[in-house]
Amino acid sequence: MYAQVLTFGAAFLGSAVESVEALTIVLAVGLTRGWRSPLYGTVVALVLLAVLVVLFGQLIVTRVPELTLKLIIGTLIVLFGLRWLHKAILRSAGVIAMHDENKSYEDTLKELHGSLLRQDWVAFTIALKGVFLEGMEVVFIVVAVGGTSGSGGLPIAVAGGLLAMIVIAVTGVIVRKPLAQVPENTLKYAVGIILASIGTFWAAEGMGATWPLDLVSVLGIAAIYFGASRVAVMLIRRRSPVMA
Amino acid sequence: MRFLRAAVSEVVGLFVGDWAQTAVSVGILGIGWFVLSHVHVAGIAFLIAIALAAQIVYATTLEARQRARHS
Repeated sequence: MYAQVLTFGAAFLGSAVESVEALTIVLAVGLTRGWRSPLYGTVVALVLLAVLVVLFGQLIVTRVPELTLKLIIGTLIVLFGLRWLHKAILRSAGVIAMHDENKSYEDTLKELHGSLLRQDWVAFTIALKGVFLEGMEVVFIVVAVGGTSGSGGLPIAVAGGLLAMIVIAVTGVIVRKPLAQVPENTLKYAVGIILASIGTFWAAEGMGATWPLDLVSVLGIAAIYFGASRVAVMLIRRRSPVMA
Repeated sequence: MRFLRAAVSEVVGLFVGDWAQTAVSVGILGIGWFVLSHVHVAGIAFLIAIALAAQIVYATTLEARQRARHS
């Protein structure tokens, strides 16, 4: 049960963050250039992403021995999670700017500007590219987290990812503007810690380690990463108080 | 072609921000694997998490210092 909640939660949160970013791009294109082309682009991107999930999901679940899978995917999840955590620490400390959906929206509008003659093609391509590239991270999270959490893990991760996408899409349709109020940076911080913790747990299991209390150890690992991230933020702020 | 290049760099970018930092992380995992195969003590794997956590503290503070110096 604990493993399933962890799998669902990681897939849901990771997918929610990326869906907000993809939604901003689609909204920017749709609200300024009409909905048909960006919606086609979005659908094509989602189909491509679904194919990737099915392809890699099946390949991983059916072909790779469990320990090898945990070692390789665990290592990749560690790298992925640490990368998100790294950015989150720098954002929390004020070293780099917080991700701003309103700014992303304006950037997409600028990209659209001056291409009126090729309106449909440009709108289609920007939506396709935006959704596909943002969705790649979701595909990785879903396949990695779902594939390594034993039998039945993949459908749970897919459900988490899909539910997040639906929630964000419905919210986007209702409010019809970028979801700048979603605490995206905090979510990325949390997902970074969760993924780095799960990845460390699985990578070590793949190396043959046994964890005290099994999956509950993930909480201990998460506490280590969270503590380290706060120390990093504190050190950076102390050295450069202007940034804070 | 540009789309493909963007997709490839996106995939690599999922795992690698800074190559040196990635190499250090992989190195820590490699050393952890070596230690785990020789020392069979429950909970010793927590050392891997501690080493990775220390690595991220070092990498982020270093990057912050470098950015402060260049700005």
